[in-house]
Amino acid sequence: VAKTSLTSPPWPEVKLPDPVEEAKHHAEVVRKVNAMIAAGHYGRLFAVVHFASKQWKITSEDLIMMDNVLEAECGDRIRMEKVLLVGADDFTLIGRPLLGKELVRVEATVIEKTESWPKINMRFRRRHNYQRKKIIVHPQTVLRINTIEIFPSL
Amino acid sequence: MVLLSAPRWLRSRLTDRFWRVQEVLKYARHFRGRKNRCYKLAVRSVRRAFVKSTKARREKKRFLRALWITRIEAASLEHGLKYPAFISNLIKSQVELNRKMIADLAIYEPKTFKSLAALAQRRRQEGFLAALGDGKEPEGIFSRIVHHY
Repeated sequence: VAKTSLTSPPWPEVKLPDPVEEAKHHAEVVRKVNAMIAAGHYGRLFAVVHFASKQWKITSEDLIMMDNVLEAECGDRIRMEKVLLVGADDFTLIGRPLLGKELVRVEATVIEKTESWPKINMRFRRRHNYQRKKIIVHPQTVLRINTIEIFPSL
Repeated sequence: MVLLSAPRWLRSRLTDRFWRVQEVLKYARHFRGRKNRCYKLAVRSVRRAFVKSTKARREKKRFLRALWITRIEAASLEHGLKYPAFISNLIKSQVELNRKMIADLAIYEPKTFKSLAALAQRRRQEGFLAALGDGKEPEGIFSRIVHHY
């Protein structure tokens, strides 16, 4: 049969590696990473956390400021549960979409609850004698990330 | 006797004109030209400045998102993937990182970004294989290959 533009798909042909070999390789990698975590062969950990409807990339001793009120007093310890990614120098744990709670633990303390600087909202329509000025001050909270810990339960 | 209305020589005159003017001029002190000194010119400039800053707060979000997308595109091209392929395959692999995060990882955590690119590439190949299907022709349909018996 003659070859036309539609005989083969427009993408190059792909060959996936052998599934049995792949499964062995995956198990090996998981074992190694578990051993590294259990032995503690990692330096500083960073995590991507979903908090206050935003994603933050945090490490320990980090300061985070969010534009809303948190229902916790100053000095309260908070555990952040929605962790999307945890990484160190040699390995990363990517969550699909979240990582398990028995795998990562991110702790933070509420440091400060203040208000933002007064922001000015102004609307103006020319030639129509219309202008409105509004000063908006919204509350802010400052958190300090204390620790990020991972446990070897892969 | 009780006076029911104020006498004519008692006027109510504006005494804090200086401070009312300063309220506007304080926002214009860093402007260029006479509009940082003269009230009449400053009022117009300050009003425009406030309106522009209000509108810019909404555009900043669009601008930053475009910036993140450009950075992710550059980083993924270094690993041999285009931006639409990268993002769509990441979403299909149920990784819910947003563009701000992926751009930050591409800058500060290159090894992590490389692993994300590899994940997207692998999911792309699996998608291609799934799209091809079995390679057999569907039943009961005429195809180009006409069999003469």
